[in-house]
Amino acid sequence: MKLNKFRKKSPWILHYNTGGCNGCDIEILASLAPKYDIERFGALNKGNPKQADILLVTGPVTKRCKDVLRRLYLQMPEPKVVVAMGACGHGGGVFRNFYHVENGVDNIIPVDVWIPGCAPRPEALIDGIVEAIEILQTKSKEKEYIRNHNEIIDKLGAKDD
Amino acid sequence: MINLLITIFAPVLGGFVFGIERIIKARMQSRIGPPVLQPFYDFFKLMDKRAYIIHSLHALMGIMYFIAEWFTLAVLLLGNDLLIAVFFHVIAVLALVIGASSVRSPYSVLGGLRELMHMISYEPLMVLMAVSFYLITGSFDIKTILSFNGYPIFQMPLVFFAFLLVIPMMLQKSPFDIAEAHQEIIGGPEIEYSGPFYEAVYTGKWIEYIYVFTFVFLFGGNHYWLGILLVIFTFIFVNLLDNSTARLDYRKMVKFSWFVLIPLAVLNIILIAMWR
Repeated sequence: MKLNKFRKKSPWILHYNTGGCNGCDIEILASLAPKYDIERFGALNKGNPKQADILLVTGPVTKRCKDVLRRLYLQMPEPKVVVAMGACGHGGGVFRNFYHVENGVDNIIPVDVWIPGCAPRPEALIDGIVEAIEILQTKSKEKEYIRNHNEIIDKLGAKDD
Repeated sequence: MINLLITIFAPVLGGFVFGIERIIKARMQSRIGPPVLQPFYDFFKLMDKRAYIIHSLHALMGIMYFIAEWFTLAVLLLGNDLLIAVFFHVIAVLALVIGASSVRSPYSVLGGLRELMHMISYEPLMVLMAVSFYLITGSFDIKTILSFNGYPIFQMPLVFFAFLLVIPMMLQKSPFDIAEAHQEIIGGPEIEYSGPFYEAVYTGKWIEYIYVFTFVFLFGGNHYWLGILLVIFTFIFVNLLDNSTARLDYRKMVKFSWFVLIPLAVLNIILIAMWR
């Protein structure tokens, strides 16, 4: 039996806000609420990296939470997909080139799906998740490494791994 | 025969109960909700994830929880003492607690401690319930209770009431979902499990549904229609309670159990013993 066709039936989402304005987070909560109800498609907001399939990142990765973001990515078991949501995640948005900002999610972890908009509507979010599920089905369950992981560790100054 | 079938297909049956529960919960919040087979989709998806463990004892305890829950249900259904089934259930939950306490994650350790608080709240009541079944039907054996010609629900209404409010503690439902509080300690004892090992814990919870509702069914005696009505009533009542209440502190749960529910059950047992 091909098991990877069940991946599209239950995408569990881990949502992490890396210092945005919470507008995207409100849209995510709106998509869980009765009008859009993404639990129809089996999606749950898990809040636990070890049981999630999709990492949904909002905000322009600030210096405080860039290492947390990398750790969350590494703690998720494969297959996994990263979705960057909102203009801040795409290279910083209004926070671009500020002293405390890492200019988007792609500078820390590899991103598979981008959801543009400030803030994206719940329809756009659902569309992005559908796209992410299609990528999820093609991925293997082998261990995945961040490309230029050592450079990123040097940049973050993480000593203990 | 039907007992054997329920025991063997307990995970499948529990999955259906869990799926129906997710739909009912969604309808109570005026959502549409996932399909009935959603727990099985989750099951097969988790099977396909990379196996990712903290250390071997932790993973073993997750699987041990699943096996011990299933064994508990087998002991209960295949005609043994109710008391022995209750004590095997303690072993199943203890496996979860040992696994939760063996990792460094503070949420997991906190969840394990809270799971012990759950245990001291509901296990005395389970024993008292077995005792009151013994006083009424004259046996701890499930076959004798199910062929008892009478209505245990009318002879022990207070025990049933106490058990109704203990079910949220056993199934981690909302006023008493303290060990598994999803918003504060994200899943409690199950937080560090992932992939196939989380699947074992997840499936163990489905078997716990069957275990609890078997006890509710026993309150009908040999009137099976009454047992089925009680099971349906309990299912809807527990979900309604889950959706309409907020989480309590663990001290309030233990106090409520020891100062309200257990005295009620003891009062009922004293009355049964006096009228016998």
